[in-house]
Amino acid sequence: MEPETPPPGNAEPISEAEALRRLRQSEDQSLQYYGAWWLGRMRSRHPDTVPLLCQALRQRQPRDEGAGVEHNAVARNAARALGKLDDQRAIGDLLEALDDEDDGLREAAARALGDLGAESAVHALCRRLASGPLVAGAPQTNSPKLQEPCEALIEALGDIGVATPAVLTVIEPFLDHDRPLIRSAASRAMLQLTGETEWGDRLVTLLAHPQLQVRRAALMDLGAVGWRPALGAISATLAENSLKLIALRGLVEKGPGEPDTEAVLLAMDELL
Amino acid sequence: MTLPEGLSGPSQPDLSSLVAAVDGAHCAEGLVQATRALALALAPPPWGPTAVNSEMVNAIRTLVGVMGFNNPGAAVAAVDGLMACGPAAVEHLLDGLDNHNYGARAWAVRALAGIGDGRGLDLLEEALQGDIGPSVRRAAARGLGQLRLETLAPESRAPVWNRCLGALEKGSEDDEWVVRYAVVVGLESLGRSPHGPRPAPAALMDCLKQLAQPAREAIPVVRLRAQLALDRLGPP
Repeated sequence: MEPETPPPGNAEPISEAEALRRLRQSEDQSLQYYGAWWLGRMRSRHPDTVPLLCQALRQRQPRDEGAGVEHNAVARNAARALGKLDDQRAIGDLLEALDDEDDGLREAAARALGDLGAESAVHALCRRLASGPLVAGAPQTNSPKLQEPCEALIEALGDIGVATPAVLTVIEPFLDHDRPLIRSAASRAMLQLTGETEWGDRLVTLLAHPQLQVRRAALMDLGAVGWRPALGAISATLAENSLKLIALRGLVEKGPGEPDTEAVLLAMDELL
Repeated sequence: MTLPEGLSGPSQPDLSSLVAAVDGAHCAEGLVQATRALALALAPPPWGPTAVNSEMVNAIRTLVGVMGFNNPGAAVAAVDGLMACGPAAVEHLLDGLDNHNYGARAWAVRALAGIGDGRGLDLLEEALQGDIGPSVRRAAARGLGQLRLETLAPESRAPVWNRCLGALEKGSEDDEWVVRYAVVVGLESLGRSPHGPRPAPAALMDCLKQLAQPAREAIPVVRLRAQLALDRLGPP
């Protein structure tokens, strides 16, 4: 799970018409970036929103380190916004972006396809992971990143929820990846796809990992699945209460079962 | 029966050396450990509260100072220690408030919310309405529901209760779901406060009913918590 990308600079309140105007022009990319973010964040339903975001998703731009702007910033933000808008028309352009040479854009596209529950993306997502932990999951030279944005790709497969043997076979080798964040993503996806307790238990084990970053990822993953047996372990893990509350919200809203809803709500009260 | 040695009487922890350890800590983890030790020594002993002496005041001020060091682990320990001190910590928390240190203010709001002393009301109101950090507004909302009215003069209880309700009503419009969730919890505990009006007034129940409505509240967990609060408060 990825935190919301905040807009750069001061975020003054703007109207939907202004956000659309900013996205439509192309002289100032920082205005486009903000417009794309705003339309996703505010769940814009304007008829121009999705076509304009798809157009922005096809836009490419070099990284501008001095201005703190990421590579293909507008396209990445357009992908993130499309993931929030629940409109299947975006899927074609997102699938294109999934094969872009920019791995950051591939990552944003994978997450958006997962958010949209795009079953037609399963084949393409599996294809990018099929070479396994030793190729797709190998570190890039001179970068802490992996060859493929494995975490996002695996999480998207779990969110989409197509549990065919072919999908499970692609995810399984990543359960033993060197990096705990990848193991967490793979356990989450297996739990979503199979519902087997074993994968929930693995996520609970990661809540005791010595690195805070890993505990945070396991919290978000348990929340994304809504795995209620983890209630006690979530309350007890050493991490920010804000993140525990997000995870417990997931338990309430996504997961039926035991402990019951009231018990989860009362555990949330304790973390305020 | 004679008590075994060591349990025969209160042993006063040596606060001044624990304070010196906090002042002398020269790494982040050392500060966390020293703050925890000091906070633990300030927790009320099982035989009841002891009189506040100058050593304790010094210890409380030291914990207030730690909240401004930008060390979250140490700040959590300091908040725990100050909450354990209860009302004795309040004037030092308010005195020591640094308006220019955002992090320290946020921790102070948490400590005051946990202590529930009426003197913290202004700060909690202000924090829920205007703080930029959702986690601070969240703590303030919870705190506004659990002010200990019994510590106030009887004639000021009703006005304070009404101010808390007004602040929570405004907070129910917050943009962040977690703040609205905390407002629900604040409203429920305000509605149950032993020295507040019974049954809970219609205005409080109406605010909860709004937060339970899908048309008004988009986030399911907030609605579920609001419905639980309504069930637990009973019909108005």
